[in-house]
Amino acid sequence: MENNQQLLHKSIVYGISSLLLIPILATFIYSLSSSWGATILPDGFSLKWYGELLTDPRFIDAFGRSLFICIASLALATLLVLPMIFVIFYYYPKLDKVMNILILLPFAVPPVVSSVGLLQLYADSTFQLIGTPWILIGTYFTIALPFMYRAIANSFTAINLKDLIDAAHLLGASTSKAFLLIILPNLKKGLLASLFLSFSFLLGEFVFANILVGTRYETLQIYLYNMRQTSGHFTSALVMTYFAFIFLCTWLASRLTRGNNL
Amino acid sequence: MNIKVIKQEQKTITQSRLLSTLLNYKPVLWLLPFAVFFYLFQIAPMVWVFINSFIYEETWSIENYQEIFDSAFILQSFHNSLWVSFWSSFVGLILAALLVSSLRHLNSRIKEAMIAFTNMSSNFAGVPLAFAFIIILGTNGAVTLLLKQWGWIDDFNLYSSWGLLTLYIYFQIPLGALLLYPAFDALKKDAYEAAALLGASPFQYWVKIGFPILSPALLGTFIILFANAIGAYASVYALTSGNYNMVTIRIASLVSGDLFLEPNLAAAISVLLMLLLAFITAINQWLIARSYHGK
Amino acid sequence: MSYVTINKLSKRFGDVTVFEDIEFTIEQGEFVTLLGPSGCGKSTLLRTLAGLDNANKGEIWVDGVDITHTQPQHREIGMVFQSYALFPNMTVEDNVAFGLKMKGISKKQAQGDIQKMLDLVELNGKEKFYPHELSGGQRQRVALARALIVKPRILLLDEPLSALDAKIRKNLRQQILDIQKELNLTTIFVTHDQEEAMLMSDRIFLMNQGEIIQQGKPEDIYTKPENEFVAGFMGHYNLIEAETAKQWFDIAATSKVAIRPESIYIKEAGRQYADHISTPKLATVVTHQLLGNVIRYSLQVENELLTVDLLNRSSERLMPEGSTIELLFNLNEIQPVGV
Repeated sequence: MENNQQLLHKSIVYGISSLLLIPILATFIYSLSSSWGATILPDGFSLKWYGELLTDPRFIDAFGRSLFICIASLALATLLVLPMIFVIFYYYPKLDKVMNILILLPFAVPPVVSSVGLLQLYADSTFQLIGTPWILIGTYFTIALPFMYRAIANSFTAINLKDLIDAAHLLGASTSKAFLLIILPNLKKGLLASLFLSFSFLLGEFVFANILVGTRYETLQIYLYNMRQTSGHFTSALVMTYFAFIFLCTWLASRLTRGNNL
Repeated sequence: MNIKVIKQEQKTITQSRLLSTLLNYKPVLWLLPFAVFFYLFQIAPMVWVFINSFIYEETWSIENYQEIFDSAFILQSFHNSLWVSFWSSFVGLILAALLVSSLRHLNSRIKEAMIAFTNMSSNFAGVPLAFAFIIILGTNGAVTLLLKQWGWIDDFNLYSSWGLLTLYIYFQIPLGALLLYPAFDALKKDAYEAAALLGASPFQYWVKIGFPILSPALLGTFIILFANAIGAYASVYALTSGNYNMVTIRIASLVSGDLFLEPNLAAAISVLLMLLLAFITAINQWLIARSYHGK
Repeated sequence: MSYVTINKLSKRFGDVTVFEDIEFTIEQGEFVTLLGPSGCGKSTLLRTLAGLDNANKGEIWVDGVDITHTQPQHREIGMVFQSYALFPNMTVEDNVAFGLKMKGISKKQAQGDIQKMLDLVELNGKEKFYPHELSGGQRQRVALARALIVKPRILLLDEPLSALDAKIRKNLRQQILDIQKELNLTTIFVTHDQEEAMLMSDRIFLMNQGEIIQQGKPEDIYTKPENEFVAGFMGHYNLIEAETAKQWFDIAATSKVAIRPESIYIKEAGRQYADHISTPKLATVVTHQLLGNVIRYSLQVENELLTVDLLNRSSERLMPEGSTIELLFNLNEIQPVGV
């Protein structure tokens, strides 16, 4: 009886996960096959597509551009969010509720909709924003915001902020010293985990990239889309490389949060 | 004590009180940079969209909205978006619920692996996913050919509403699972055993206890999936090169692209989209409030 | 002049007054306890003394200097928190060294002092441990070491033992007391546990609703409660109406009187009792509780329900419900209590 139940549950879980696995596997096989016509299995196997990909300067450039804006926007987000959260949790704790609503905005307002406003607002501005990486850095900041706020806020609630700062005060530290020496180190894990998570999310961003800059600043996703007319094998290798990178980031993020048994 | 000394002391006390009040406002300064960026890139566009949806050719008017309701094409985009979003959320939710529910009965290693897997696959969306689907379910896709061989389908068109629905369901499942994991943890094993001792069959348990406990989470997850689907742009754009008629595609084509640009019309469509979302969220919240709400 | 003088100290949060016009003095080296129920203001008073909350009115003088407006960094006051407040990202060593680091003394220079301090709290060998690897009692000792190493003038302890289990609490209590005596450190201790206060203090300040109701040596507060609240808080005092007291003991009572459970005896046949023992009164046993070495009786005497404690010397002292016995009262221990 128990075993039958176990069997049922196992089949459901494995069944659904296989369904989810099929596209990934198919792409992987496609990237490894030398050619695959209108047949069920590929004709032969080869690593040449990866070779082609990793030596394509356009790919390297696109990847570099994506890395640049993702890292830049995450750095911006960290710089803006860290002091803000500290101030909120230490001086104005009631604002946390307000922030929780504000960070829903990037979800409630689809990127397409924001793009409408962004294009019109910044099209004729004195310093060029549209079509440059700078507008992407700004918008990517709003995308990363909910993840980063929640992760860092959770870290804050896990430590007894007021008592730690009080203890530091009595031992002779100013508030800023206490923030740097005590609070910041304790946020490291939560911060890093959210950074990796946001990074993988941002790397896959297409909407803002396509509408606000398009091919003028070709990010990885735009490059991927532009390559759709080329060989499917090539694009599969591209997709797999991208996916492997994302896998690494998510894995790192989960390793960091798993060690959070404090 | 000397009057002079007292007065001097009072002065210093007042001075230090003033200074401390001033310094008390210093923390607010740390909120400003964030506020500025958030305003510039999130709030300002929102406000622009809302205001300009009511501006037609330089004057206040609801002409934009009227145009929407006069255009069968735009209305069709709403119909398509609603159809795909609703069904992908519904089916995605059911499959995710099945997955999570069965997962609870398996050992922790499989559980951890599955959680990691769903975490990863939730990132597989947008352009890469569309391409992967073309590979397997396109006209010459491996799975298409396989299914044809087995006689399961005659002609599967990935680029139709059914194909799109399959794609959407694919990325809704991991998201649904991630959202449901904590909810299902609320179903304690001892509640099930207590019910059994009191004579309830598994079916009765689910109807009277399990489902009511889960319903707020299920409804809440549904609305998140729905919002996710209806705002999706990359997957459908990449799959159909922007040729399939969805609301997000319509909005984007009116602000960028080759044809006439009509940002105010795009704004109006955007406002309607968000109103739609707000409306469905409100219904959802109402349903949640009506259902069991305990801890 | 006293070491610590508190003058008309008042604190409110918005509209709520926590305490007003508090005044007291503490001598150097004294161990003083602020005792009272939750919400009486003792913790807030402690935090105001530390400078973590600012007083709205009044003065705090330490060693002849007015420190009312001094920052907590410069008050030279150490504090041990109920939640320990150890810095989770630092080892025991680093936590203890922190105060010295703030003074510009490097960890290397401070090694000797750190070792001595860890010796004092019996935590040698744990230098490289992190707080989450330590037990509650160990964490509290690190907190103590951290506060003491900077040689504060006053040590404040905010219910430091509440989160620990009974046995560890007992050991730590004694350890704190020993260290305090050795260093002759002026100490203010906050607790709601009356027994703890009695065991540790030179003087107790009993507080309720923002006021110091009574202060004095533990034995004085315990045996001579000045009002009903004190009587009710310290031990299990019996409160008897004035009229009844007049009747029973033939004393001039203008207010209720209090008498401790251990000052009421059960008449044993054939014993001679001294003059200060009253005449016997008939009582019925309502319930009894075996507390281990003490039997606590609930006895009905006329219209009063009294608590009487007896040492559990033998099983014959365990009298069943409904039985009647004769009670004797120690007239010297009858305490009139004002309102």
